[in-house]
Amino acid sequence: MSLLIAAFGFGLVSMSVIALAAVGFTMQFGITNMINLAYGEVMIASAYLAYYVNQAGVSIWIAMLGGAAFGAVFSFLINRFVYAPFQRKGTALLGMVIVSLAVSLMIANGMLPIVGYFSVAYRERFSHLLRIGAIALTVNQIVIIVLAVAVMLAIHALLRYTRLGKAMRATAANPTLARNCGIPTQRVIDVVWLITGGLCGLAGVVAALDSDSFTIASGAGFLITALAAAVLGGAGQPYGAMLGAVIIGLITELSAAVWAPDYKQVVAFGILVLVMLLRPQGLLAKRGALAAAG
Amino acid sequence: MPLSEPMLTARDVHRHFEGLHAVDGVSIEVMPGRITGLIGPNGAGKSTLMAVLAGTLPASSGTVIFQGEDITRMPAYQRARRGLVRTFQLPSEFAQLTVLENLMVAAPDNRGESLLGALLGKRYWMPDEERLVAQARGLLKRFGMSAKESDYAGTLSGGQKRLVEIMRALMLRPRLLLLDEPMSGVHPSIVDEIAGYLETLRDEGMTILMVEHELHMVDRLCDPVVVMAQGKVIGQGGMAALRKQPEIVEAYLVG
Amino acid sequence: MNTYYAANLLIFAGVDIIACLALNLQFGVSGIVNFSFIIFQAAGAYAAAILSMPPDSAPDYSFQIYFGGYQLPFPIPWIGGAIAGGLLALPVGLVVLRRLRADYQAIALLVTSIIANTVINNARPLLNGAAGLALVPQPLQDQVDTNTHAYQYLYIGLTAICVAIIWFISARIVNSPYGRSLRAMRDNELAATALGKNPSALKMTMFIVGGAIAGLSGAILVGFLQVWAPSTWLYPETIILFAAVIVGGRGNNVGAILGALLVPVGFEEVTRLLTRMNVGPPQLIPALEWICIGLFILGFLWFRPRGVAPEPRHVFPGAPVTEDTHWVEGAHAS
Repeated sequence: MSLLIAAFGFGLVSMSVIALAAVGFTMQFGITNMINLAYGEVMIASAYLAYYVNQAGVSIWIAMLGGAAFGAVFSFLINRFVYAPFQRKGTALLGMVIVSLAVSLMIANGMLPIVGYFSVAYRERFSHLLRIGAIALTVNQIVIIVLAVAVMLAIHALLRYTRLGKAMRATAANPTLARNCGIPTQRVIDVVWLITGGLCGLAGVVAALDSDSFTIASGAGFLITALAAAVLGGAGQPYGAMLGAVIIGLITELSAAVWAPDYKQVVAFGILVLVMLLRPQGLLAKRGALAAAG
Repeated sequence: MPLSEPMLTARDVHRHFEGLHAVDGVSIEVMPGRITGLIGPNGAGKSTLMAVLAGTLPASSGTVIFQGEDITRMPAYQRARRGLVRTFQLPSEFAQLTVLENLMVAAPDNRGESLLGALLGKRYWMPDEERLVAQARGLLKRFGMSAKESDYAGTLSGGQKRLVEIMRALMLRPRLLLLDEPMSGVHPSIVDEIAGYLETLRDEGMTILMVEHELHMVDRLCDPVVVMAQGKVIGQGGMAALRKQPEIVEAYLVG
Repeated sequence: MNTYYAANLLIFAGVDIIACLALNLQFGVSGIVNFSFIIFQAAGAYAAAILSMPPDSAPDYSFQIYFGGYQLPFPIPWIGGAIAGGLLALPVGLVVLRRLRADYQAIALLVTSIIANTVINNARPLLNGAAGLALVPQPLQDQVDTNTHAYQYLYIGLTAICVAIIWFISARIVNSPYGRSLRAMRDNELAATALGKNPSALKMTMFIVGGAIAGLSGAILVGFLQVWAPSTWLYPETIILFAAVIVGGRGNNVGAILGALLVPVGFEEVTRLLTRMNVGPPQLIPALEWICIGLFILGFLWFRPRGVAPEPRHVFPGAPVTEDTHWVEGAHAS
C-alpha cells in the first residue's frame, strides 16, 4: 500500500511536468489553430539556455525564468516571421503542420553545432529527500509541484477573470466573430504566443530538471508527452490538457509501481488509445470537434 | 405515385444541439409536381430542417418519409441514390474538377465508379462514360454552359456555380430537389433565368422544396408555402392566404 | 559509379516512389491527411521480415526475440508485407476515420504512429524492441549469391517491377470515374455525399489500398537493408513523405514520383555528395542536410504550393472549341 502512496507522490510530480507542457501546446492549437510540432524543440532550447545560465553560477530557479522568457520571445518570433505569414497566405492546416515540422528540424539541427550530442544536467539536480508519510520526494520535486499548481491557477484566473482571457476564449471559439465584435484578434494572438511560449520554455526547464540529464534528442520526447496529454483532454482545451496531464501522470506512475517501470510510456499510450476508441475527440472537447455536417 | 400522395412527409421532426432547439416539432408534406416554398426569418431553422430532410444532419426525434419509405435513419448518400437530392446555400462546387467532371461525378450507373471497375480499365467503363458524357453535355447545352465544360468549377461566377449545382443534381434524375436558397449570391440579372429554369423543371413534373428569402420569387414560384419561425411551422398554404394571417405578417412578411 | 552505390540509389528511389504513390492516393487524390502513414510501411517491413526469417530459436538468430519466423521464400514475404499494411489500415481507419473534424483526425493519426512506435520500441518480445530485427534474409538469396553484381541487378529489377505495378494501379485508379469520385470527395465531402457518394466507404478503401502499397514498400526496403528498427520509422518520416508529395504536386502521380526523387532521394544524395567532397566537419553534415530540407520545404510551400507538377486538368475528347455561348442568351436560345 505504501508503494502505491509513494507512486502517487511521483504521479504528482509527473503530472506537474506534463501539465506545464501540455497546456501551452493545447492553447496554441486552440487559439491559433497551429499544431506546433516545433514545441518540443523550443522546450529543449529553453532548457539549454537555462543550462548555460546555470553553469555561469546562477541558481536554476532564476535561470528557469530566463528559460521561460527565452521560450516566450522565441515562440513569438517564430510565429511572427514564419507561421503568421504562411497563415496569411492561406496555407491550410496540413501545410502549417509541415511548416512547423520544418521549423522543428531547423531548430534541432541548428542547435547541434552549439550544444553537441552530449547529455548535460543542471547543477541543482540533486536535492534533499523529504518524507511525508509514505511519500518521499526531493525538494526539487516539491517545488515543481507547487510551481505547476501556481501556474495552472494563474492560467485559470487569466482565462476566467481577465479581459485578455475572455478575448482569448472568444478568438478560440470563433475568430471571425471575435473580430467582428471588436476584439483585436491579431494582438490577442501575439500575446498568446508570448504566454504559451513562456509556458513552453518553463516546461522545458522543469522537464529537464526532473530528468537526471537531457540531450538534444529529448525534445521529441517532450513534444510527444505534451501532445498525448493534450489529445487526451481534447485538443485545444486547456482544462482538458490539465486533466490529461493528471491522468497520464498518475496512471503511469501507479502502473510503474504495480507492474514494470519500463512500460510507463506504453501505459500512457494505452490510455490514449482507449480514449481515442471511446471518445476520439478527447475528454473535454466541446462541439465542433466532430465533423461539421451541413 | 398517385398525385394526391405527398412525396415527402416530415412528422414531428426535432433537431437540437447544445440545448438549442433548431427544429422544434416540424410536420410538413411536400406534394409532387409542385414547388413548395420554405420561408422564415433568419434563425428560423430552415436550413437545419433541409439538412435533416436531406440526411446530412440526423433528426433528434421524429420521422421522415420519402415516397412511402421511412428514411429517418438513412444516411444522406443513400437518400440521394433514392432520388432525394439537395443543393447547398453556400457554393458547393468541386473546385478542382472541371464543370463537366462536376456533372459526371453525379451520374449514377457508371461501371467505372467502383474500385474494381477502375482497375479493369478504360475498355471496361468507357461505354458508360461516353453515354454519360453525352447526357451531361446535353444538360450543359440546355443551361447554356457548353463553352465552360473544361473550366475549373472553382473559377466560375456565383450564378454559374449555382447552375452547375442544379445540373449536377439533375444528373441524378432526382424525384425531389431540396434547394437551399438557390438565388442567394447570384447576380440579380441572372436570378430571373434561374427562376425560369425552375419553372420549366416543375412543368416537366419535378418536385421541389425551396428555401427562399426573396418574397417576389416566392410569390412567382412557390405554391404552397411553409412559414417557419423559431424552429416551428407557423403557417402553411398559398401566399395570398398567408398574407391575410396577422401573426405571420408580423413574424415575417414585412411588405 | 559502382554497382552497389547504384543499387542503393535506385532501390531507395523505387521504395520512396512507391510510398509516395500510396500517399498520393490517400492524401493527394482522396484528401485523407494520413499522418500515421509511416506505420504502414513499417508493418510491411516487419511482416516481410518475420515471414522470411527463421524462428528466433535458430542458431544465428537467438540474440533477437520476435514472433513468427516462418522462413518463407520470395515472393511470399513481399506479398505478406502488402497484406500486413492493408490489414493494419482496418483498425486504424475504423477508429480514426470516423466523423472527426479534419484537424483532430490529423492529430489523432499522428499520435497513433507515435503510440505504435513506442509500443514496439518497449515491448521487446514482440519485434525485438528498440534494437529491431537484423539479419533479415534477402529475397532469392538461396538461388543467387548476394555478394555479386548480378544480385544487385536482380534486386533493382524486382524493385522496378513493383514500381511499374504500383504505377499501373495508381494510374488506373486516378484516371477513372472512381478516381473522380475520390477527388470530388476531397474537394467537398458534403456535396459528394449529397450526390450519392459514401465517404466512409471511399476513405476506408483508399486507406486500405494505400496501406497495402506502403506495406509493399516496407517489404522491399527491409529485404535490401536487412535490418529494421523503430528508429527507422519515427513520425517525422511521414511528414517528409507529405512534403515530397506536396513538393512534387499532390493529386498527380507524376508529381508523386518527382517529389520522391526531389525530397527523400535528393537529399540522401546531397548528403553523400557533401560528405565525399569533405565540405565542413563530417558530423555536422547530417545537421546541415536537415536544415536544408527544412528550408527547401518552406521555400516550396511559399513559392509553389501547388507543386512541381500540379494535378492535370481532365478534358474529355470532343470538348467544344468555339461557340461563345454567353450563358444568359443561351438560356433562351436552347
